[in-house]
Amino acid sequence: MTTAEGSGMKKYVAVYVVLLVLTALQFIIGYQNIEGSQMAVRFLTFAIIESLLVVLFFMNLGSEKPVFIKFVVYFMLFVLATMNYIWTDSFRLLLFRVTGFGPS
Amino acid sequence: MSEAHLTMGAHSAPPMEAPPFAMPFKKLAMWLFIMSDVMTFAACVAAYSFLRNATPDWPRPFHGVTGVAIMTVIMLTSSLTMLMALQAAKAADKAGAFRWMMITAAGGALFTFLHIRDWMGMINQGVGLFSNPWGPAAFGAAFYSITGFSLLHIVVGTIALIIVALRYQGGRYNADDVELFSLFWQFIGLVWLFIVPLVYLMNLAR
Repeated sequence: MTTAEGSGMKKYVAVYVVLLVLTALQFIIGYQNIEGSQMAVRFLTFAIIESLLVVLFFMNLGSEKPVFIKFVVYFMLFVLATMNYIWTDSFRLLLFRVTGFGPS
Repeated sequence: MSEAHLTMGAHSAPPMEAPPFAMPFKKLAMWLFIMSDVMTFAACVAAYSFLRNATPDWPRPFHGVTGVAIMTVIMLTSSLTMLMALQAAKAADKAGAFRWMMITAAGGALFTFLHIRDWMGMINQGVGLFSNPWGPAAFGAAFYSITGFSLLHIVVGTIALIIVALRYQGGRYNADDVELFSLFWQFIGLVWLFIVPLVYLMNLAR
């Protein structure tokens, strides 16, 4: 194994250990008595950090041309952001089901 | 000027624009596939989260997640072994690359076995696509849809990995093909990192 390959594997193993630690923290949070929305925010924060590590290091997006990175990031962020317009309706449904008031 | 010269001049190709992403077309195709798959998974997660948020009596049936924790470790470890296969393939270590790919496939098969065992446990408790002993029937549909879609990727990925490994060993595929598959496998692992907290940990019994 060459030096470059060896350092590449060390980087992968380091990212793997960080991912294991972050996942273990998620499991610890799962057993804590935290309000649902707070828990969702914490889980998503951890999951986003983990996905950044996977995409940048395991999928080597960081070593691609900047124009391709911009293409992937802008496109995905746009699509993922526009999927979130549904939330207001879920709160409307929740309110109706709990109180019985409001439009069904 | 000769006739051949004149003919060539008449049919000379127009100057082509340099490819903007400067990557092999197969790799670009894989990235585009992954991006479209992200949207499918995101739609599943959004639909699941919508249902969960809009349902006041959403059940929290999971008393322990030891099995899920083991599955997560297997998934993460298989991501690492896939990278080891890629490193070996890039170093032209054919035997090493094949060995690591088969280890990764074994991880995928073990994950699939544990996942189906988890499903059987849920089915034995009465959770079906249209039934749920703890309340809203939508729970079963949402649970099986989102975990089933992930499981489908892992099963197909494991079979594809075995094919890639055999073709790589036979000389039909090279390190670039191993890299393409590695991208897909890492993506599957990434999706699981979202499913675990949203589907399992958010629904732990308290």
